[in-house]
Order: sequence, then structure tokens, then C-alpha cells
Amino acid sequence: MLTGGLHPPLYRELRRLAASQMASESAGQTIQATELVHEAWIRLYGNDAWQSPQHFLATAARTMRRVLIDRARRKSRDKRGGDRIRVGLPTADAASPEPVDQLLLIDEALGRLEQIDPVRARVVILKFFGDLSNKEVAAELGVTERSVERYWAFAKAWLFREVNQQR
Amino acid sequence: MTQTPYQREQRLFDEALETPPGSARDAFLEAACAGDSALRNSLASLLAADADAADFFDGGTLTLVQLVSSQTPEEPAAGVNPAIGTSIGPYQIVELIDEGGCGSVFVAEQTQPIRRRVALKIIRLGMDTDAVIARFEAERQALALMDHPNIAHVLDAGSTAAGLPFFVMELVPGSSITRYCDDHNVSIAGRLGLFVQVCHAIQHAHQKGVIHRDIKPSNILITLQDGKPVPKVIDFGIAKATDIPLTENTLLTDDLRMIGTPAYMSPEQAERGGQEIDTRSDIYSLGVVLYQLLTGSPPFDPKELARSGISELLRTLREVDPPLPAMALCKLPPNQLTALARSRGTDPFGLLSAVRGDLNWIVSKAMDKDCPRRYESAHGFAADIERHLAHEPVVAHPPTRRYRLRKLIRRNRVVFASAMVMVAILIIATGVSTHLYLRERDARLGLVRAKLVQTSLHQEAERRRVQAEALQLIAETRERITQAVVLLRDGDFPAADALVAGASLIRPTPEGAEVFRRLGDWHAVHGRWEDAAARFSYLIKVNYLDGSDTPSLDHLRAGPVLIESGDLAGFERFRRAMVARFAKMPGVLSAERTVKVALLVPAGEDLMQALDPLIDVSVDSLSGLDQQPVTGNVDHLEIWRMDSVALGEYRRGRFDRAEAWSRACLEFSKDNSSREATARILLALALHQQGRVGEARSELAPACAAVATTFGQELRIDYAGSAWWFDWLIARILLREAEELIGHRSATGDPHDKP
Repeated sequence: MLTGGLHPPLYRELRRLAASQMASESAGQTIQATELVHEAWIRLYGNDAWQSPQHFLATAARTMRRVLIDRARRKSRDKRGGDRIRVGLPTADAASPEPVDQLLLIDEALGRLEQIDPVRARVVILKFFGDLSNKEVAAELGVTERSVERYWAFAKAWLFREVNQQR
Repeated sequence: MTQTPYQREQRLFDEALETPPGSARDAFLEAACAGDSALRNSLASLLAADADAADFFDGGTLTLVQLVSSQTPEEPAAGVNPAIGTSIGPYQIVELIDEGGCGSVFVAEQTQPIRRRVALKIIRLGMDTDAVIARFEAERQALALMDHPNIAHVLDAGSTAAGLPFFVMELVPGSSITRYCDDHNVSIAGRLGLFVQVCHAIQHAHQKGVIHRDIKPSNILITLQDGKPVPKVIDFGIAKATDIPLTENTLLTDDLRMIGTPAYMSPEQAERGGQEIDTRSDIYSLGVVLYQLLTGSPPFDPKELARSGISELLRTLREVDPPLPAMALCKLPPNQLTALARSRGTDPFGLLSAVRGDLNWIVSKAMDKDCPRRYESAHGFAADIERHLAHEPVVAHPPTRRYRLRKLIRRNRVVFASAMVMVAILIIATGVSTHLYLRERDARLGLVRAKLVQTSLHQEAERRRVQAEALQLIAETRERITQAVVLLRDGDFPAADALVAGASLIRPTPEGAEVFRRLGDWHAVHGRWEDAAARFSYLIKVNYLDGSDTPSLDHLRAGPVLIESGDLAGFERFRRAMVARFAKMPGVLSAERTVKVALLVPAGEDLMQALDPLIDVSVDSLSGLDQQPVTGNVDHLEIWRMDSVALGEYRRGRFDRAEAWSRACLEFSKDNSSREATARILLALALHQQGRVGEARSELAPACAAVATTFGQELRIDYAGSAWWFDWLIARILLREAEELIGHRSATGDPHDKP
């Protein structure tokens, strides 16, 4: 069986990723978060290339990223009711892209960041898609928490500027 | 070493953030860029993006999830539900009753085949609708067998136009049991009365092979019939139908279900996502409902559970012992406690003293993390509550002497008042010696228990290992057992047997044990000894795992059948396990049955040594019934015991004693042909050993005829007047030994033994 099977720590970790969602007010959102985690898990499970138990956090985060972006693409394709979601985006004017498209743009920019600065890109993946704490990211990358804070501050500003310049 | 523009920008950005925003930062940038206006602008745009980026990124995964979810959460104030007025098949939706995380419940008007109002529940979890409906159809037969005034029927299931599964149920007007009780200030006794009815409903379902799996207050509605509150349990079969079998999707479902009602979920449901649920999971959930009826809230706060995250939530359910109900009440702030007491028609003191004691223990027993330690059935649960209401000792309390006494005094106050003086004198007189005796006895019992626990722990560990290897099988097997229960109810033995054949991995459940017992009986009466032996060996294993501490009738089934199947090595193992388990158990019944089964064939010296004291205990308990002429009634259990004692004495070579006991048995046994035949055979054996061959032969002849007659016709599967089929089997095994010894060849016609 899957949960009791090969990679229990990873599965636990994935569940933990959903844990922050459990605190949310709406059961609907909770369910969606959990669903995502499971999708991520199923993909991970089917992936034989995943071998190193030390890096399950990173693997989980990368997988979450893929799952989320796939969904965002799907949603962007058949946009319906997307405007009903309120997200804390700064640009609420008519010219701004849909939030989902914004996410896709961020992801593209992240792809470029991976080329020029793989370390900061990994911080983004771990923190943003993996929902890890600074401490966990620091342990994962072997740097201090303070460095993680700095990496994170720069990376997100850089990504955001990239997206804004695209428009 | 030169820096790329990216690296320079990044280094300056870090440093700029170190300086406070405003003129200090501007000054820093001015100096750092040294006239490079492109770099200056670039950095400015980065720093400007910083604040906005924080808004976007720091929303965390939740924002992301919202963003990409195609099903957006419903706005709570959406006005009239769009479903109202529409039709789904023959059901016209009239009004919304309830809307929850996993679906909506509507009142609907059914038009065909009859016109009536029903409740229609649409599941909105994004499941495989076909699979849900298929599972419901599979369960339907079992559900249809349920017929109980406190159970609301699920009538139909199907798929909406949008492809969502829906269920149609009997419409029960009313509110949840907890809401009703609080709104109507129902007293503790009143609540217990309602709860007992709920237990009986659940027991009925369990007997029909249906496990609810999702018992919670909102699934127990109180409706008024003739002005009287009547509980109705709803949603039978729905939890099971919406539980996806063991595929990758199981993970999804188990969490979804968990999000529904984690507060009422049993530890084993939390452990395996519902893989190993049996009737005792329902007992646990019933315990939680009772907890809430008493204290106003479930043992684990649902909000806190939800906040703690999934793994912490599961850990809590699996490992944390909730406070006893009375403790939970004590922890409440005074005004809340007062309000709670008022809604139970009493004051805080009255509430606390009602909950303290029995009810505490009853709730904890039902909610034990270890499911074999819970009530064995919903009926047992209800019976304990009824005992509490009648001021009788409850099972759940650790049965201390003082506690029993307290209960007894309560029932017989006057008698006790006068008896107290006598008791005081007696206590002082015998106190010292009793104390010493008890201390020794307790120590002995403790040792035995510890050994038993150790044994069952070992078995448990082994079982778990095996289970891990074949978890897939378990889910399937459990399903089969449930179906087998239904088939056996219809008397379809071959189909039930085919279902469980080769099923070697189930948890010890009452249903599972009963299935194997019935099937073993069925094979046995048709002379298929090997099949019967396989079923019974399994049954014994289940009994041991379940922690049974007396040899049950199942041992009387398994032992003889093993011998008949020709598996003498298997029998040897079986009897050694039995002796090891029961030799130290107190009680003459335990001793007698162990002797009877273990000595069916001659035993080695070590085994005889272990059995020696058990034979003595059995002999002593009959206190010389073999010697003087006895008037009055002799208990029928004692007459049976004479057979066992005769066998025991014969095996240890005291042939005169064996003769005396078998004669005594024949003396008292007038109406039981199997017992009589066994006694005659033992008598014949004993006589022959004393050199009285002629007498032996004449005793053997009628026994031989009786055995031949019985096995010449079809054996009865149930208790047939005075004997079970295995009582006759025991007689036949001993007869064979006697015939070999005495050389009497008879026509013990047995059609079953022919190949």
C-alpha cells in the first residue's frame, strides 16, 4: 500500500505541506489542498528516478510546483469563474493579467532564474511551492537562516520585476 | 574577479535592504551606483517590487491552491441554491436542509414509483461516481436486510446530470441527537435512554453485516413519534460506498473522509485510512457520541484538530488519551459548566456526580485505543449503560471488591446496615490471613496475565508482519467476510465458503469468527475433515488473538476434527498450545475442557505432567459424587465433567477410578446418548485394562451401535437436542481406540470416511 510503502517520510512531509491549509476557514479549500498533495504524491510515487531519501523535501516541493503549474495551465485554458477569487495582488487594474496567468508568468521567470542563479531558484521552490520554513530551507541547502532570508528577499523581488517587465 | 550585472545587482540589493528605507537608502544607492544610471534604475525597480512581491508570495501555498483550483469555494451567502426546483431522475428538489464540506442534503419529492418526500444527498468531493454507485450496489443486499425502527433506510443511489454521486434516503424530520438533547434540556438519564436505543440500532446493523463507519451526532437524528423522541441513525452504507478501495485514490478518500469528521474517527481509521475497520470502530464512534452527550463536546476539539495539521491530527487520534468525561467537565469555566448542567436539567454538582464513576469508565472502555479492549458489541455497550441505570455493577469498571460492594449496598440498603456489624467482626478476624492469601493469589494472577500479554504481543507482532506483506489482500478479505455473513444468513454455505477459502488474513472480528465457525461446522457435518480443520484452526487463532481466556466450544470443535483429518502432528501442536495457554487458568471449566480435548489421544509424559493438576481440580470439584448414592439434582455440567474425569484417570493409568467415574456418569446421564456412549466406551477401556474383557465387550456393544446409528445418517449442524456433532465425534474417536484395544470389530458404518 502506498502510505505504508516505500517512502513514508516523504508522504508525511507532503501531508505536512497540506497541514497549513487545514487551518483555513473553508472546508472547500482544505479539500483542494489535500487533493493537490495527493496528486503530488501519486506523481512522486510513480517516479522511479526518485531515490535519495535525504532530498525528499526538495523533491516534494518540486513535485508540488509541477502539480500546481499544471493545474494553473489547465485553469488558464478554460477560464471560468476565475475572477471570483480574491488574491492579494497589487495590480488590480483592468490591464493586469488574471491571477492564474500571473502565477504562470512567475513560473516562467523562475525557469530563467534557475539558469542564472540555481541556489536562489531553489529557495523559491522550497519556500513558495514547498511551503518550508526558513529553518528547513537552511538545513536543506546547508546555509544559515539569515542567508535564506536574504536569498528569498532578492529572488522574489527579482521574479516580480521580471513579470512586471513582461507586461 | 569581475561580477556579472546580475551578481552586482543582487549584492547591492542585499546591502540596500540592510539600510533603512528613505534618505539613508537613497544615499547608499547613489554612492554604490556611482553614476551608473541603468544600474540605479534597475535597483530601484527591484526594491519597488519587493513590497508587492511580499504580498504575492507570502500568501503561501494556500493562495496558490485557491489560484489553481477549478472548483472555487462557494460563497456562503449565495442566496437560493441553484439546485432547487430542478429534477434528478424521479426526484424533484424542494429545499436545502444542510450544506457541509462534502455535500448538500435536500428535501426532494419523489414522483415514481410512489409519491413521497425523501432526503437527497449530493456528494461533492470529485470522486469516481461509477465506483461509488457500484460499491453502493454491492452493499445494497446487506442494507436491505436491515429492518429496525431506529434505522433510516438508504433507498437509492445514482448520478446527477453533472456526474456527481447522490444518495436517496428516508426523510427524517428532526435535529441531531446532541442538538435535540441540549434544546430540550434532556437529563443525563434521558440521554442515556436515547443512546441505548442508538446502540441497539447499530447492533442490528452489525448483525446484518453492515458497519456504519461514520457515526456522529449529525448522523443520529431525533424525530418525534407520538410525541416521544425516537433516534434514527441515517447514512448507513454511504461511508462505505464513498470509500474508494485500495488504489492510489484511497489516499485521497481517506483524507477527504477525515476532513469530514475527524473528531469521531477511531484510532484504527486514523491509522490506515479505514483499511481495517470493523464493528469495533463503530463502538469507538458511539463512545465519542456518548462523551459529547455527557460533556457537551467531543473528546478532541474539532477546531483544534483541524488546526493541528494532518499528521498531528492522526497522531492525536492514535495516541493521545482524552480526559475522562468528568475531568473534561471539571476543566470548564464555572459559567459554562452551569449552562451545561442546566441543559441537562441539573446543577453543576449533580452533573459531575452523575458523570463521575461508571459513566467515566463506560465511555473510556468504548473509546479504548486498543479495539479488542472495547465493548465486544454495541449490545454489550448498551447493556453496561442499562446496568448503570439499574445501579448494578458495570463491566467497564475495574472490578474491585470495594466497588462491587458499593453497588450491592445501594440496592439493598437495609440488609446491609444490619449486616455491617457482623461483617466488621468477620473482617477483623479473617483480615490477616485473607490479606496474605490475596497477596499471593494476585501475584500469581499477575504473572499469568503478563505471560499471556507477552504471548499475544508476540503473535500480534508476527501478525503485523504478515499483514504488511499482504495489505492488499486484507481489504479484499474484509469485504469477503462481510459478504459471507450475508450469504450464510441465506444458508448459501458453498458460496460463502468459496468466498473465504484461502482467506488467511483477517483481524479477529466477531463476524469473521462466526463465519469460520459456521463454515467449519458445515464441512464437519459433511465429513470434509480437512476443510473443517482448516476453518477451525483459523477460528482458534482468531480467538487467541482476541484474548479469550477460557477454552471455548471452538476447541471442542477443532481438536476432534484435527484428529479425524489425520493431521496428528497438527493436533499435537494444537493441544500443546491449548495446555500452555489454559493450564494456569483458574476455574474448573477451563481445566475440564483442556483435559477432555488434550487427552483424546494418549499423550506423552510431559504433557501428562502438565495435565495432572487439571485432572485433580476436576476430580475435586465433583467432591465424591462417584461414591455415595446421591439424591437430588446433579448439574448437567457436572455429569459432562464425569466423562472428562474418567478420560483423565484412564490416561494416567488409574483404571479403577476411570471405571468409577464412567459408571457415575452413566448413573446420572439418562437423557444424553452421546455422553452415555462416551461413558460406556471409557468404561469398556477401563474394564479391559483391568483384565475384565467380557464385561468390556458387553459395554462397548451398545456404544458402538449408537455411534454407528448417528454417523449412519446426516449429522446435524446445530445443537441437536442433547449433543453437538463434535460430541459424537469425540465418542467415535474413543470408540476407535477401544475397538483396537479390545479387538472387537464392529460395523461402524461411516460413509464420510470413504475416500
